Amino acid sequence: MKKILLIAALTMAPLFAQVEGDIEVPYIPFEVKMGKGFGEVNANCLTCHSFGYVTNQGRQSKAFWRGKVDKMIVHFKAPMTDKDADIVTEYLFEEYGNGKLK
Amino acid sequence: MKRRDFFKTSLAGAAAAMATSLEAGVTGQPIDNRKISTIAFPEKRPMITYSDRPPLLESPRSTFANAITPNDAFFVRWHMPDIPTHIDPKHYNIKIDGLVNKELNITLDFLKDPAHFEQVEVTAVLQCGGNSRSAFKPIAGGIQWGHGAMGCAKWKGVRLSDLLDQAGLKKDAEWIGFNGKETAAYYETPNFVRELHLDELDDHVILAYEMNGEDLPYLNGFPLRLVIPGTYSDSWVKMLSNITVTNKNKKLFFMDVAYRVPDNECECETPEKKFKKTKPISKMNVKSIIGYPENGTVLQTKSHVVVRGVAFDDGHGIRDVKISIDNGKTWKSAKLDSGEAGRYAYRGFSLAIKPMKYGKMTIMAKAINKIGQEQPLAKDIKWNHGGYKFNGIDVVTVDVV
Ligand code: HEC
Repeated sequence: MKKILLIAALTMAPLFAQVEGDIEVPYIPFEVKMGKGFGEVNANCLTCHSFGYVTNQGRQSKAFWRGKVDKMIVHFKAPMTDKDADIVTEYLFEEYGNGKLK
Repeated sequence: MKRRDFFKTSLAGAAAAMATSLEAGVTGQPIDNRKISTIAFPEKRPMITYSDRPPLLESPRSTFANAITPNDAFFVRWHMPDIPTHIDPKHYNIKIDGLVNKELNITLDFLKDPAHFEQVEVTAVLQCGGNSRSAFKPIAGGIQWGHGAMGCAKWKGVRLSDLLDQAGLKKDAEWIGFNGKETAAYYETPNFVRELHLDELDDHVILAYEMNGEDLPYLNGFPLRLVIPGTYSDSWVKMLSNITVTNKNKKLFFMDVAYRVPDNECECETPEKKFKKTKPISKMNVKSIIGYPENGTVLQTKSHVVVRGVAFDDGHGIRDVKISIDNGKTWKSAKLDSGEAGRYAYRGFSLAIKPMKYGKMTIMAKAINKIGQEQPLAKDIKWNHGGYKFNGIDVVTVDVV
């Protein structure tokens, strides 16, 4: 009886051990290309998510990037000025654009 | 114009027309060559990594050669960047309030105690509604997943209905809201809250604390998450902490705007003309993925190869998986596993083939469920703005040498 109890206790233990202490999610340095508007992107686009969300979309049109910036402002309430929104759109199209306006 | 010139230009014209027709929306196969990261996340082996904050990890195709997805290769998808870094299961409470006779505030230990709740298990597929999104053209909004935003695990927990029974629903109770511990970085950003209508919640819905015999991995929602077999994972709230019963649904971004498809027969629209009325993505459609071989696998001629993969739907169950190695001209039924894992689980399939000809060979897999629904060819899948519910016939191309 004692032995069985011991085994039960042992198999219980690792369950909690998995999150003993603080969890640390690794930091991934997603590259943000240098370019005009780099500062505005850093100031406005990295608060809520990594830059991986942006590069993951692949090269896209200007209208696409404008749409994304607007979505961030309208739906997710990204606090940014109209001027910064324009600069960031230009930057995204310049650095991650596919050359097409639409 | 000389005749020869005419030919030249009309050929160029045809090529251009083809290029634009592709861009105007012929669905293809999703991106399948993404690299596995060198950086491993907590409790995970290195996976395809889209983001660290919030964590977004995709399972590589090889994962789908098995009908149970190991916890350390199970995909990860959070919406909000702020996730608690420390959880003390001894002091973790789940609160149930709103239109209930008795508010509950219960600990994990209480929940796991068979004296209080029956402990139940279900093997079920967890798939993001946007899985395989990168198949859509033009690009549909959101993370450009390949096939790996899905997995299948054996979940253990308690029935949501048992919990609600203990709290006692008031007469006008209609909506159940679920909230987890992830929060936005900015106070005005809508949080990830889900609401389900009572009608959508049957006895199969559970609050799970165990996955494949272990605690839920932290990144899969430790210590407790919702499991709604048969439906896409948008409502499988992780790190579940609050359940609120109401009689009216709230305005919620992640319910009313995201995770919806056009409310028409084909669930489709065009980028120029979006369909106004939408509906939740809810039930999963029939789908299969080949786990082995993969795109680019080198096979020897006349070697004995076993094609393996998984198939599933929303719980009707899989009747047949057909494999073609001649570009869809002929199809052969694969062998299905026993099906013991139940109708919400992956049905593993396998088929022995023997490549005879040198060069490229395509292997296609098509699942058919018990009510006769079958996977369409990718090119027949029409576009929707969110890139949801892709279930095109899977195609891998191997090199026979
Ligand atoms: C206030 C918070 C916030 C800020 C600031 C913000 N985003 Fe987002 N962003 C979000 C949320 C929330 C999502 C969706 C998260 C999810 O579903 O995983 C998102 C998703 C995205 C996506 C993925 C595609 C999609 O449609 O979901 C892209 C691209 C993106 N953001 C770009 C940007 C850019 C560019 C900026 C800077 C102008 C920015 N974001 C700033 C909150 C924000």
